[in-house]
Amino acid sequence: MKYIAMLSVIVALGVFANLVHESQMLSYLSSDPKVCVNCHTMITHYETWQHSSHRNRATCIDCHLPRDSFVNKMLAKARDGYNHSVAMTFKTYGPNLRVSTDAARRIQDNCISCHREVVSQMLANSALYAKVADNTVQMGRRCWECHRGLPHGTMRNLSATQNNFTVKVF
Amino acid sequence: MKKSSIVFALCVLAIVPMVLLTLSIRENKAEQQAMTAVPVIKEGETRASEWGKHYPRQYDTYMQTRKSDEIADVLKQDPALVVMWAGYPFSKDYNKPRGHYYALEDNINTLRTGAPVDSKTGPLPTACWTCKSPDVPRLIKRDGEMEFFTGKWAKYGDEVVNPIGCGDCHDNKTMKLTLTRDYLKRALEAEGRLKTADITHQDMRSLVCAQCHAEYYFKKTDWEDKGEKKTAMVVTFPWSKGLSAENMEEYYDSYNFTDWTHQLSKTPMLKAQHPDYETFVTGVHSRNGLACADCHMPYVREGGVKYSSHKVGSPLDNIANTCLNCHKGTEKEFRETVEKKLARKNELAKLATDILAKAHLEAAKAWSAGATEEEMKPALQDIRHGQWRWDYAVAGHGAFFHAPEETLRVLAGAINKGQDARLKLRIVLAKYNAADFVAQDFSTKEKAQALVGMDHAKLVEEKKTFLNTLKQEWFKKGEAKGLYDPESRKDMVLKTSYN
Repeated sequence: MKYIAMLSVIVALGVFANLVHESQMLSYLSSDPKVCVNCHTMITHYETWQHSSHRNRATCIDCHLPRDSFVNKMLAKARDGYNHSVAMTFKTYGPNLRVSTDAARRIQDNCISCHREVVSQMLANSALYAKVADNTVQMGRRCWECHRGLPHGTMRNLSATQNNFTVKVF
Repeated sequence: MKKSSIVFALCVLAIVPMVLLTLSIRENKAEQQAMTAVPVIKEGETRASEWGKHYPRQYDTYMQTRKSDEIADVLKQDPALVVMWAGYPFSKDYNKPRGHYYALEDNINTLRTGAPVDSKTGPLPTACWTCKSPDVPRLIKRDGEMEFFTGKWAKYGDEVVNPIGCGDCHDNKTMKLTLTRDYLKRALEAEGRLKTADITHQDMRSLVCAQCHAEYYFKKTDWEDKGEKKTAMVVTFPWSKGLSAENMEEYYDSYNFTDWTHQLSKTPMLKAQHPDYETFVTGVHSRNGLACADCHMPYVREGGVKYSSHKVGSPLDNIANTCLNCHKGTEKEFRETVEKKLARKNELAKLATDILAKAHLEAAKAWSAGATEEEMKPALQDIRHGQWRWDYAVAGHGAFFHAPEETLRVLAGAINKGQDARLKLRIVLAKYNAADFVAQDFSTKEKAQALVGMDHAKLVEEKKTFLNTLKQEWFKKGEAKGLYDPESRKDMVLKTSYN
């Protein structure tokens, strides 16, 4: 049994090494936006961001991952990675990708953290006169309900989005 | 011993999901590679099933267009059309379009194409095949464009044997979208908005459709074939003055073109043929960069592969993959919005057809009462323009959605022109003591066809003879030539408005 256990550890390590290679796992430790287009579903999001004013200031993870602490950031990354792997393996995702509640909260926190100067009064007002429409995010209303085109444009479609660089329509 | 077991169990627990994930990643990569590989398909291959061997998903979805198989008799729904098209083949038989799978079948079966008995009998020209088959570009290449557009429809009966298929839109070597009909390139050039050199892939995703889903006419063109003088009926788009109803009307008026002279009112008429592309480009979806294929051939996912569905049809069949890609909202809301748009169009279209049919009958009465050509001319010009506008607005069945404002605007113009004509006719009728004339009843298809003196039963009888003889021969000959693919007519059942 001891040998079986040892063998299984070796096999597990082998499978893991192979998985690291196949999934380009190490690339996910980076913060380069190109990593997000490992999956072609993200091409339009990458491309729209790259043509937006945010590209000089904020990368994917600056908006989509928590920025309060390194630990929280890595935890969120791990959680997202796990959810994506499950969804991809068991094909549980639908045709329309929508932001999750957790992701919405993170994004809104990040909007506020960069644009604090501009929104400080709104923050104060929302606390005072709170008529909360949506308690999943700070201030009770998602920024992008009004700022719809930021930064991914209003047209997020594999074929209709301008400058989409690797559309293959076969 | 116990420790080893735990280690073993833990390893197994870890290995299983890791293997699953690895397999899934590999599978996705392999499927995507298989999809982007370009196989060899021989030039001029018109059989869809041959392409389908390499593109099973696209082929399967394409074959599903056979689910759109309902025959909806439009003449029955609005018998006024029989009066409006008196003397023109459309008054004999006109159904709503079915799926691409039926394109050829319905063209052969409709009473409009008549009952030829050999390759030289009419009534229609070869041009009527133009949009029905990938055999058309093959024949144009083989015989030359002028020869293709010369002669009667029946001339190519045993050559045009595959319905609209892969070769109509795709290059056999690169699989890229390609324009197989040169008249579209000429029309784009004449119109000037989009230079051929500037066409992007996204443009192509509409233009391959525009090869057929556009307004056209048959332009009489004289040519010489080795010293022999011939006349071709060349499919031509009236685009050189612009794409709107008024632009095209001006184009046709500028050289007194007529599709036919109306049997009752003697009006020099125009017939609009589904200006889908022309109306689509005025709509909000086109102006936001969408192409036909975005909604009519949405991306669908099968395992790790995403491909565009070739089951071309109503986007309402698949709202989650079409509307909801860009819009927020529920399927129910979208369905209701579209229904409302359709009801608005139908309301105005019904007004227009009622007015125009009555105008034709009133004009016929004026002629028989003794009116002169001089007196009739202004009213007939209004009928011509009114009916053209109505036809332009409704002949493309999707215009009410693609361009709702434009469609309603053009229909309003049609109603106005039609009423203008009736006002003018009423004065002429009064002059000849027929001021109280009431247009005859055309409330059913049968009444309307009797009113225009059509022997429907005879047409059907002749057609049935044709279906049982020449049609059968065509496919036999096509098969002998190695062109016809029985797969393309799998489970085909004869379905028409008359059987």
